Amino acid sequence: MSINNNMIDVLQDQKWESIPWKKLQVGDIIKVKQDGFFPADLLLLASTNADGVCYIETANLDGETNLKIRKALEKTWDYVTPEKASEFKGEIQCEQPNNSLYTFTGNLLIQKQTLPLSPNQILLRGCSLRNTEYIVGVVIFTGHETKVMMNAMNVPSKRSTLERKLDKLILTLFATLFMMCFIGAIGSAIFVNKKYFYLHLDSSEKGSAQFNPRNRFLVFLLTMFTLITLYSTIIPISLYVSIEMIKFIQSTQFINKDLCMYHSETNTPALARTSNLNEELGQVEYIFSDKTGTLTRNLMEFFKCSIGGEVYGNGVTEIERGLAERNGMKIDENKSANAVQERGFNFDDARLMRGAWRNEPNPDVCKEFFRCLAICHTVLPEGEESPEKIKYQAASPDEAALVIAAKNFGFFFYRRTPTTINVRESHVEKMGKIQDVSYEILNVLEFNSTRKRQSVVCRYPDGRLVLYCKGADTVIYERLADGNTNNNIKKVTREHLELFGSAGLRTLCLAYKELHPDVYESWNEKFIQAKSSLNDREKKLDEVAELIENDLILIGSTAIEDKLQEGVPACIETLQRAGIKIWVLTGDKIETAINIAYACNLINNEMKQFVISSETDAIREVEDRGDQVEIARFIKDEVKRELKKCLEEAESYFHSLSGPKLALVIDGKCLMYALDPSLRVMLLNLSLNCHSVVCCRVSPLQKAQVTSMVKKGARKITLSIGDGANDVSMIQAAHVGIGISGMEGMQAVMASDFAIAQFRYLADLLLVHGRWSYLRICKVVIYFFYKNLTFTLTQFWFTFQTGFSGQRFYDDWFQSLYNVIFTALPVIIVGLFDKDVSSSLSKKYPELYMEGIKNVFFKWKVVAIWAFFSVYQSLIFFYFVSTTNLSAKNSAGKIFGLWDVSTMAFTCVVITVNLRLLMICNSITRWHYISVGGSILAWFIFIFIYSGISTPYDRQENIYFVIYVLMSTFYFYIMLLLVPAAALFCDFVYQGVQRWFFPYDYQIIQEMHRDEVDNTGRAQLLEVGNQLTPAEARSYAISQLPRELSKHTGFAFDSPGYESFFAAQLGVYAPPKAWDVARRASMRSKPKIGHKK
Amino acid sequence: MDIKDEESAPSSKKASKKPIYTQFSQQDLPAWKPILTPGWVIATFSVVGILYIPIGLLTLFASESVEEAIFRYDDRCLPPSYAHNANSYIQSDDTNKTCTIKWTVEHEMEAPIYIYYQLDNYYQNHRRYVKSRNDMQLRNKAAEGDLGNCFPEDKTTDTNQPIVPCGLIAWSLFNDTYRFLTSNKDLTVNKKNIAWGSDQRSKFGSNVYPKNFQSRDLIGGAKLNESIPLSQQEDLIVWMRSAALPTFRKLYGKIETDLEMNDEIEIVIENNYNTYLFGGRKRLVFSTTTLIGGKNPFVGTAYLIVGGLSLFCAITFILLYVIKPRPLGDPSYLSWNRNPGGIK
Repeated sequence: MSINNNMIDVLQDQKWESIPWKKLQVGDIIKVKQDGFFPADLLLLASTNADGVCYIETANLDGETNLKIRKALEKTWDYVTPEKASEFKGEIQCEQPNNSLYTFTGNLLIQKQTLPLSPNQILLRGCSLRNTEYIVGVVIFTGHETKVMMNAMNVPSKRSTLERKLDKLILTLFATLFMMCFIGAIGSAIFVNKKYFYLHLDSSEKGSAQFNPRNRFLVFLLTMFTLITLYSTIIPISLYVSIEMIKFIQSTQFINKDLCMYHSETNTPALARTSNLNEELGQVEYIFSDKTGTLTRNLMEFFKCSIGGEVYGNGVTEIERGLAERNGMKIDENKSANAVQERGFNFDDARLMRGAWRNEPNPDVCKEFFRCLAICHTVLPEGEESPEKIKYQAASPDEAALVIAAKNFGFFFYRRTPTTINVRESHVEKMGKIQDVSYEILNVLEFNSTRKRQSVVCRYPDGRLVLYCKGADTVIYERLADGNTNNNIKKVTREHLELFGSAGLRTLCLAYKELHPDVYESWNEKFIQAKSSLNDREKKLDEVAELIENDLILIGSTAIEDKLQEGVPACIETLQRAGIKIWVLTGDKIETAINIAYACNLINNEMKQFVISSETDAIREVEDRGDQVEIARFIKDEVKRELKKCLEEAESYFHSLSGPKLALVIDGKCLMYALDPSLRVMLLNLSLNCHSVVCCRVSPLQKAQVTSMVKKGARKITLSIGDGANDVSMIQAAHVGIGISGMEGMQAVMASDFAIAQFRYLADLLLVHGRWSYLRICKVVIYFFYKNLTFTLTQFWFTFQTGFSGQRFYDDWFQSLYNVIFTALPVIIVGLFDKDVSSSLSKKYPELYMEGIKNVFFKWKVVAIWAFFSVYQSLIFFYFVSTTNLSAKNSAGKIFGLWDVSTMAFTCVVITVNLRLLMICNSITRWHYISVGGSILAWFIFIFIYSGISTPYDRQENIYFVIYVLMSTFYFYIMLLLVPAAALFCDFVYQGVQRWFFPYDYQIIQEMHRDEVDNTGRAQLLEVGNQLTPAEARSYAISQLPRELSKHTGFAFDSPGYESFFAAQLGVYAPPKAWDVARRASMRSKPKIGHKK
Repeated sequence: MDIKDEESAPSSKKASKKPIYTQFSQQDLPAWKPILTPGWVIATFSVVGILYIPIGLLTLFASESVEEAIFRYDDRCLPPSYAHNANSYIQSDDTNKTCTIKWTVEHEMEAPIYIYYQLDNYYQNHRRYVKSRNDMQLRNKAAEGDLGNCFPEDKTTDTNQPIVPCGLIAWSLFNDTYRFLTSNKDLTVNKKNIAWGSDQRSKFGSNVYPKNFQSRDLIGGAKLNESIPLSQQEDLIVWMRSAALPTFRKLYGKIETDLEMNDEIEIVIENNYNTYLFGGRKRLVFSTTTLIGGKNPFVGTAYLIVGGLSLFCAITFILLYVIKPRPLGDPSYLSWNRNPGGIK
């Protein structure tokens, strides 16, 4: 793989030398530059940032987008330059390679000191370096021993479920073959008798063993073998070849070249990396999707806000759009002309732009809102101080989006010093006036997951002291001041929050408070005290913060869109209508995951949600005690209890007909215990009853485990889709793995079976290509089964008339060419071209897909029906032709012999079988005519030539002139008209009755659209619906959103701690903080956030 | 296949991977989409019915116009004294094999009247039997030594001379003969042109003469005149076109004078061929022919049945259509509309 040929700087002789990744060895000291990927698992020695801190992005491992901090041991901070680094001498003791991404134990022995290593110093392969010029590190694990690779599983070879079922059919055919041979052989052993003197069975000489009546057992055995070769045509050997050919063309010509799945922005067409699984795509029942990069674009955009009880922002989320479309409206995507387009800012409302907010009912609240956005954050500006060129470095994209929003509203934050924040404010005093204002930052009360809020105390240039606070609605609302106006705003804003939340937007509440200098001074003393305390500092800081973060005045709320990939909610909705259940498996935290589930319409407020989370007080309490065994036992019990409870509830809903749809949210830690064999059944039962399932904080391996649980436990057909290295194992574990291509990372694509550029193409891939492939392959298989069985059975019936001697009914050549020439091509044409309904209808009626999930077209029942018709037809062929055998066949009184009869029968078989093929076609192209006509013609051409010549070789000239003899009789033509009609009569009656009285869904759809010209143009389908103005559409869409008292308000903000992040800039020493990855992984001290009741 | 290149302008940007539109790859080939509506079903059945019933009637009529008379004689020609010992009767050289049957013609028969012998329980299609011949030897004098497949009737027992024609089929050649006597008419049997012309021309050589035939201990059937080439031995040629089923008829000859009603015909049978051993019956058949051959009511009946059933189905479908109509393309028949909340 080319990835291992990337170059990396390695320390050699006090210089950095570039070598390819693959040459790296454990113990090498390497340098990784900004935005570079770590080529191996590294121990962080030093960073260009002060304090040995570096920032990494772990999106490839867990899908999380916010940066993480890694901090080198103090002893190694200095090894930044090559000269210095070459002095590094030490010994690293560490654990064996393992797959746990969040743990690491080891020691660094340096200068005779033993320093403990933690995950805090480890840089994992797959992550990339951010906001740091470069780092120096030591290679600990390389290649397959890296943690990310340990999470990968062996590449499984995949075969489609249909093919596996086909194997069973073939086995059944083998059993049938054996039975037929057995019957024939027994008959033969009974038949042989000396009395048939003309057979000379009494001969005891050589070569007579086969029919020697004195040794009937030997006769039985030998006839058995003869019959096996005779009846071997029942096994459709050419079926496998034909299927491979069909699938190959399907994947290379149809899937790879589908214009509907070509993404022009990234110039990526779809890619079928295997041709084995086409029809599997038509039977998928469970989709496991990664979040970041698959469902979302990894892009946060300021989308809407609510200020002083007024909603701003005209944007329509994908989910609203989908809803509106479902209700038959077309939302115009006309942005007003002055809408600002910027990464991170997707807000369009003229009422707030360019100072227009001054005319709003609450201009003062607006002003506070913007100031709060511009001041209360932990973002670093970078680059030129102009609105166009500045770049914001933020620990989370949410934060950056908020600051960018402030900038666009005219509050341009352009400089940060350790004590001030400089904001260029426009239109504040009067329209058009721009002034630079410097706010002195007095205190920062940082964000953490317990507090779920962040506050800044600042001093205005005029000396006013103001505390700005932003945070989760739950925590902010607790701390709001009482007051009439405030109450009203609170109520309205709450409604807005719910509205935002149910649309999948991430919300934050903003509040402020004016501080009296005296009050502030006395508080500040306590704060400084707490800050300098040596133990329990964090706790004390939190307590002090509580003292001042009260009596806040609510300003409003922001709504940030975790930008979904285009068309995701619509696609998910389509897929759900198709009977596919979609599970989101993400490394993200629970709030984010739920948010996205809302945004994708996987969860809505009408659903009953089961949340099984490890972030309960009880679990946290036990964890604080730190006894691993007890923790494990406790969590397991807890999970078991929860599961049982949920399952009971779910079953009660399930029995009542109109119960709500169910959704399950479970986090990785609980999942770990729930996947335990003892609880697995319960988990499976629960999750299979749920409409949608969200698993968050799951490791790559757990993703795979969940996938295989459903694959093996529920025996359902699964599909995994993902874009990153963390999805590889899940992609491999599922029946079908889909990689998102067109992005930078290729690991997922390399592991996948199909690669598409966008999640929304899944609809095309499954509903169109998958469904068609399934239908086609089913038809091909069944038809092969039918034609070989029919052919072989005529031979079988003949055996009864020959004293079970194993005499061939057909000439050798007839028998060999039957599968290869006379019936080969048409079925391939069907496998390529058959379409029941057009692709646009397939997507318009996704429910059609359920026929594939239920495997309607390849059930034993279907096989049995076809077997019945095979038997019937073969009887018609044999007995119609043989019953009339006795009398003369032409006016000259001449009689047919064996080969005349068999050629006659064979002609009937070839014609009938080819006509039968036309009867299973839903659409008949010219290729059908050509191939069917060609096959029949090929038979006649063949027989004309074959029976026209006699060869000088020593062989039996059985067929010589047979066809000419046949064709010289009237009888031949009469039979040719009669036999196929009689044979197909029953099939036709069956088809007519089936279609009329027990129609398949696709047949109804065909009838509904029978008069339409096929090329409906796929885009045309989207055009249905009335034209509404954007405002109407929006209000309608919003009015359609679930209005039930919502509990979900969409808070999902995350930010690294202020102090550690700015420690470098402020020149203040700050110890490593609690929120780092290791801590996150262990999930400690993370309170439950209030999505629940 | 018309290729509409939607990206007509050759773009200067680097190679676009956009697939080119073809009807084939976009699966947009023009196609006829037949829907088996009741109209189609009824129409098809009606057409088949209307077409097949007349054909059936014609065929049946033709078959009925054939006059056929069948006599079983294996039992009648067995003297009662040998009733329990038929085998020794037929194998003995001393017994009188000639037997006479009187036949009064019941219906007028127009010449030519074909005479067949019919055997049953006779497995000419047995694997051992079918292959026991050598086509090379039959048509080529030079290849008389080709004895492949002919065992055990390939060589003479004592001198190891090749037998021509070799093999079980030729060896077991049917050897009953028939003569027909009548008071006022001369009923000669024409034995020419009873085999298929192609067999006579190409499969049996005009310069190949029988040799050492029936010279082994066991004699299977008829002997051949060694001075007549195989291509003229039409009885042999007919016999060697093996029958498909264990009950079969072979053409014996034809009578080229009309038989009037109540004509008295004396059939003199030389009952030589041994079918007593394996319980096979022998019959003698007189038959006239039409364009479609001999008497064969099955084909006509089958046509009538297929046509009749088709009409019946057409009527049934019309009735069903009236009694239990289903509007074409009614969405309420869709499975997800039938049981609401289908996805579970």
